[in-house]
Amino acid sequence: MTQPIGTDYKVADVSLAAFGRKEIQLAEHEMPGLMSIREEYADAQPLSGARITGSLHMTVQTAVLIETLTSLGAEVRWASCNIFSTQDHAAAAVAVGPEGTPENPSGVPVFAWKGETLPEYWWCTRQALLWPEADGGHTGPNMILDDGGDATMLVHRGASYEKAGVVPNPDTADSEEFEVFLTLLTESLAEDWQRWTNIAAGIKGVTEETTTGVLRLYELAKTGDLLFPAINVNDSVTKSKFDNLYGCRHSLIDGINRATDVMIGGKVAVVFGYGDVGKGCAESLRGQGARVIVTEIDPICALQAAMEGYQVSTLEDVVETADIFITSTGNKDIIMAADMARMKQGAIVGNIGHFDNEIDIAGLPRGGAERIKVKPQVDEWVFPDGHSIIVLSEGRLLNLGNATGHPSFVMSNSFSNQTIAQIELFTKNDEYKKQVYVLSKQLDEKVARMHLDALGVKLTTLTKEQAAYIGVDVAGPYKSDHYRY
Amino acid sequence: MGHVGTAEESLSDQGLLRLVWAQRAMPALAHISERFERTRPLAGLRIVAALHVTAETANLMLVLRAGGADLHLAAANPLSTQDDVVAVLAHRYGIDVQARRGADRATYDQHLERALATGPHLVLDDGCDLVGRLHTTHLDLLPAVQGGCEQTTTGVLRLRAMSAESALRFPVVAVNDSGIQQSFANRHGTGQSTVDAILRSTNVLLAGRTVVVAGFGNCGKGVADRARGLGASVIVTEVDPTRALEAAMAGFQVLPMCDAAAEGDVFVTVTGSRGVLAERHFAVMKDNAILANSGHFDLEIDVAWLRAHCVDVHPEIRPHVDEYLLAGGRRLLVLAEGRLVNLAAAEGHPPAVMDVSYAGQALCVEWLAANAGTLAPGVYDVPTEIDDGLAMLQLDAMGVRIDTLDTAQEAYLTSWRNGG
Repeated sequence: MTQPIGTDYKVADVSLAAFGRKEIQLAEHEMPGLMSIREEYADAQPLSGARITGSLHMTVQTAVLIETLTSLGAEVRWASCNIFSTQDHAAAAVAVGPEGTPENPSGVPVFAWKGETLPEYWWCTRQALLWPEADGGHTGPNMILDDGGDATMLVHRGASYEKAGVVPNPDTADSEEFEVFLTLLTESLAEDWQRWTNIAAGIKGVTEETTTGVLRLYELAKTGDLLFPAINVNDSVTKSKFDNLYGCRHSLIDGINRATDVMIGGKVAVVFGYGDVGKGCAESLRGQGARVIVTEIDPICALQAAMEGYQVSTLEDVVETADIFITSTGNKDIIMAADMARMKQGAIVGNIGHFDNEIDIAGLPRGGAERIKVKPQVDEWVFPDGHSIIVLSEGRLLNLGNATGHPSFVMSNSFSNQTIAQIELFTKNDEYKKQVYVLSKQLDEKVARMHLDALGVKLTTLTKEQAAYIGVDVAGPYKSDHYRY
Repeated sequence: MGHVGTAEESLSDQGLLRLVWAQRAMPALAHISERFERTRPLAGLRIVAALHVTAETANLMLVLRAGGADLHLAAANPLSTQDDVVAVLAHRYGIDVQARRGADRATYDQHLERALATGPHLVLDDGCDLVGRLHTTHLDLLPAVQGGCEQTTTGVLRLRAMSAESALRFPVVAVNDSGIQQSFANRHGTGQSTVDAILRSTNVLLAGRTVVVAGFGNCGKGVADRARGLGASVIVTEVDPTRALEAAMAGFQVLPMCDAAAEGDVFVTVTGSRGVLAERHFAVMKDNAILANSGHFDLEIDVAWLRAHCVDVHPEIRPHVDEYLLAGGRRLLVLAEGRLVNLAAAEGHPPAVMDVSYAGQALCVEWLAANAGTLAPGVYDVPTEIDDGLAMLQLDAMGVRIDTLDTAQEAYLTSWRNGG
């Protein structure tokens, strides 16, 4: 398990570090929130003593987050939370570190590369959670920074199976990924039957990045199974209303263009789900001249879409006529293999929701479709009748798989929330119970404020009289907690 | 004091306020007016105009009069006349105006006939009414006519048809076809004022509704963009494949009207054609569908069929809204009797738009007068120098500055020898 110092990482190609470093420096300029946090806490070092395991897309922007955490005193180990989302040059640069060289790396242990297999993916997650000790054993992190909840789930399931004394038979798993997951835990229990129980006991808390992970956390909290406090970063206004909306608005069409270079103007595009992500997707597709149709299960979101002038319909009504299908629901089984078989020649199918279970890729070969790899993360699936469709990133997040994910500026908002949440949970741990929390409005507004200067935004200041008139403090917060922005 | 077709003198003060209000947004006309006062290019010419009698038109009349013309104005449409404008032109400025809002067909005809009877040297037309009469029932007046200007698409279509048959007997400038007129008047003017008229007359919330726009010419593009901007889901119908493709590439759904008819909450016809909304469409429309026309003539919606075949009519359930009750209980709401809704139920083009159109009219009239006797009969495009001049006048008024080609660039762009 223990590797000599400097080799405790696994990336695709450490020689990409110089290129990665250049991109990190460019990104730092576009991430004013993180850079001002580094400056603000340079002396205080609030994360000194923190051992943070991160499971989050290993991109250039994440590299700036990681190095922000270390500059505040934390030790960090990292894995990606998606098999396709790693940018190999960013991973290399983080492993090598700003002071190290490829021959003599001195950065953060990173376990991530673009195109991991599922067993490799879960091995990476496990490596990020196991902190080597001098005696050859290992301990765990005392903080988790999660995106989608995989690291948190590994700890929780591990501890739960250890308590039960047995892991469910991997053959009973309902998906290939869960089978891999159960196999890993079966081996883990054989090695050490108290590993995850011990690690869980040492964890002070988790900060969760995205809608999907947050859903999992609230479920754990509801059943009383949450083992440590959690901060829901996703629902900070400066996260979900920016990252999900503006980030996806930018990166969705970037992914479609890079993957297919299809002319979007004039096409009919279907967006499944009209939450923040779906709203951004619909806007960007319309902005390129596509006619956008939205599907929804929630009457409020459906009405919002209709009032924006989108046609709201069902998959059944549009599956045979639309050109582009994008899932953004956070739910599963949105587009099934039988649906894809009915799509017209050349239809493009992609997902921008967190997990790869929105589109039934596994059902395609079962239905007799044949896969032809066009290029990395772009597959043509040919049906037995001879017609074919294009599937992006095997149904995984196409904005990360086919493009480079969200731009730095929007990630600066999200990651500033992450960093502040880590500081909150780590330094004020006794104020938090085993529940899910959101950051205060003050902190949310602080994150927004940190990004205004870079855009040349001039804020107006309330007079005392005006502040009193609407019942707020001159310095904020300016809105009540239930305000929806 | 000129002939007063109709309007009461008491409306004159109100008309003056509106005339002056429009003047604020018509800097190009003001610029031309100053020049005309000095040069008097129209001295001794009798001009008969059949235009929408609005505050903007009044300003054109004053410019032409400043140029020395003897003016006679009739309405191009009985619903678009603003009576207070008639009053101020007649009573304050002594211009012969033959127009009254809501005039019946016979009175409207009589107004046009009276204006024509004065014997024009130049005609300003909006829909080819005057040119049509001169070539059919008033052949005696033709020899004196030196030329004309046509303001709108529908009129230009007819003129080109006349010209193709060699029936046109004097030169006419297609003011409508100038680039800047197309952009300003049709796209922006009709676009904004049509949506304005639908909102004023019905107060319908467009967000979440389906608006069907028939025709994706400049007017249709303007209407479709604005309806989308207000949150409507817009369907376009077209007969021209190029325009249909333009609409599809702009992200609009394109359907045949027979299919769109069942989907729409609001219908706007802007085709320049006829029978665009007819029996087979009425048959499948939703209850309470709103039908409006912004094309020039009232033939785009087959209101005659509705009148003849409906179970009942409730006229003016709100101003400009007639409700037709169909067999089976469905109701269709027709705005402004199927006539130009933007003029009837709103205020027509904003003055800034009409400034461009009418500055073009004034300059074309000047050009026709200057070239009288040298131009063969036919349809003429607006001379390029006038078009460019119009754009510059607007840019100056808006404070927009542009670049000028240097001599090397000019040479590069005009020489076929210069490669990369």
